[in-house]
Order: sequence, then structure tokens, then C-alpha cells
Amino acid sequence: MSDAIKPGLPADQLLALLAPLGGTKDEADRWGLTVRVPREQLRAALLVLRDGESTRMDQLLDVCGIDYLSYPDWRGQRFAVSYPLKSTVFRHRLTLKVLIEEDDAVVPSAHDLFRSADWAERECWDQVGIVFADHPNLKRLLNHHEFVGHPLRKDYPCQKRQKLSINDPMIDQLAAKLTQLGYEVLEMPVASAGLALTPMHQKETQS
Amino acid sequence: MTYKNVPAAATSEINLGDAFVTTTVDSVVNWGRRNSLWPFPFGTACCAIEFMGMVSSVFDVSRFGAELVRFSPRQADLLIIAGTVTYKQAPVLRRIYDQMLEPKWVISAGACATSGGFYDCYCTVPGIDEIIPVDIYIAGCPPRPEAFLEAIVQLQKKIDHESRNERAVIGAAS
Repeated sequence: MSDAIKPGLPADQLLALLAPLGGTKDEADRWGLTVRVPREQLRAALLVLRDGESTRMDQLLDVCGIDYLSYPDWRGQRFAVSYPLKSTVFRHRLTLKVLIEEDDAVVPSAHDLFRSADWAERECWDQVGIVFADHPNLKRLLNHHEFVGHPLRKDYPCQKRQKLSINDPMIDQLAAKLTQLGYEVLEMPVASAGLALTPMHQKETQS
Repeated sequence: MTYKNVPAAATSEINLGDAFVTTTVDSVVNWGRRNSLWPFPFGTACCAIEFMGMVSSVFDVSRFGAELVRFSPRQADLLIIAGTVTYKQAPVLRRIYDQMLEPKWVISAGACATSGGFYDCYCTVPGIDEIIPVDIYIAGCPPRPEAFLEAIVQLQKKIDHESRNERAVIGAAS
């Protein structure tokens, strides 16, 4: 049984916490609270919200890439990344938003601050093409490994089909983990899409 | 025992009585094949739920001899694709089809498998006939179990008109 969720901070206090990091209220968000922060302060802002005694925003719900190309009356940067945050302690939530230019679509990775950011950032890279600096394994999550381009960009021709010739066994992370645990992982033909462990027992038990 | 209006050449067979039936090999083989289809369900979406309805007791596909659902392509001769197929899945589907032994048939169930359905987008295969040959298409989103049964019956009719000699084996030297 968890304790009852406590009342959250009002929006102006949350804004005041982020003001030293350059956080400004995003007036386009009419339903919740969205705070724009500069890219350099993103990780600091995430940390403040995650670890602050009065905020405790311990859930990163998603990492969304936004493409503002052909958005009506938009004069800002082309891309944005938004980080919806939620607290399991207090009844408040907040979205951080970072605006980035098209020719420099790089954002620092938050995979070490929130574990959910790992796959969320991979999806964001896959679909919108935003690079997350220092991400340990920035490879495609949803599209196949022969896919070229980023389909949720507004200039991607949405009816363009890209065939996959052979599927990806997708065991690179598993193989790395097993190697770390002392198993020897053999290279398998891609088509077999399986995993061979040889010997079947760990190395320590063999000797 | 004498028969009227029977050509002389046939009388010798008639004299054998009820111990023999004369027919063609195709008729016997097709009779066996069409009444004992072993389906492999490639269910990826809601159409597979309707497939379950067809197999279960209310609609009861065993009336048509196709109730023995197998989950190994090596034990099945009817591939039923029920659901959306993405390009990421396409090599898997192709491989399953290749692993099935001849003779084999394919039913494409529902709008997604047949044409991509309403997924007119970057990731969905617009019809599985881009990857594998299809015998019967079922319309619907998802189709009713009766539509699945109709497809089985249509496939049985199709099998009835096949010939062992004419059936092309894909990849075999002629």
C-alpha cells in the first residue's frame, strides 16, 4: 500500500524553480504546464524536478519529438523535444520542452537520469531523427534496420515504402549482457534469428 | 446378372460388383486434401480474434475438416494471415511460408492483410500478396467468422479443381 498522493505545487512555484535555469512558460499549452528550457540546462532541469524535495517528479512518461515544419504561423526552430514528467508523490505534472534547430538537432541524453528515457530516446531518434548525445545504443526501435530516413518528419513522403530484405535478430543488447555474465555467445546466421550459447553452462562452471 | 444399355467395354468392371470404385487419382487426393486442411494462423491483429471464433464451438470449423490448428509451419498446409503485416514482419512471414511443405494454400483474412487496410503509411505492407501468393481473400474489418467459413468452403472448391500434374511447385525444376 502506498501513501496517499499529496497535493502538488501550483504552477507559479514550479515555474519559479525552473526560472534560474532559463525556464519560461510555454503559452501554447492551454491545458497543462509546459516549460521551455534551453538545451544546455535540460539535464539540470530534469534533475531539479526529479530530486527536489517539493517536486519529486520521478516518472518520465515519454520523450516526444515534434516537427514544426509547415505548422501554421510558426516562426521558431523546426524541432522540439518534450519531456512529460509526473510525480508519484505529489499531485502535479509538468512538461519540459527544448527547441532545437534543424541543422543542429542534438539533445543531451537523459538515459542515466530516467531509465525510461533509453527506449523513448531511441524511438524519438528513429521516428523524428533527433540525435541524443551520449546515448549508449542509439539505434532504431520501431522501424527496421534497413530503413532510411525518419518517417514522422513532415517532409518524409508518408506513402514511400521501404522493404526489408532480412530481419534483424535484435540480440545485440542481450548478447552483450550474456557476455558480461560469463556466457560465450557465438555468431549465428542472421536468418536463423536465434541465439546460441556455447557452452550451455557458464564459463566458471566449465573449469 | 445382365445390364441394359451398358457399353461392352464397361461390363467387365460392373461384373466386379461393389468391391471396386473407379475414379481418378486427382479426385481421391483432392477429396482428402480439401477435407483435412491443417491451418497455421499468422494472427497479428483483431482478425485473429475472429479466427478463434471460427475455430471454437459456436461456428465450429471442424464441420469442414479444418479444425486442427498447428503452430508449426512444417505441420500445416493452410496459412491464414489474419491481421496487419508490417515491413519489419515481412521476412518472417515469407520464411514461414517457405517452411510449409507442398501442397499449401494461403488465405488472406481481412482488409489489412489483403490491401494494408486503412494503414496507408510508411510501415505497412499494402497487401501480403507483395510477399507470398494468396489463394483466397476475405473482405471485412474484421471479417465475421462466417466469412472465414465461406473462405474455407471456397478454398475447398478450388482444391477440388486442382490436378496433381498441373500444380506448380514453386522453386522446383520442371
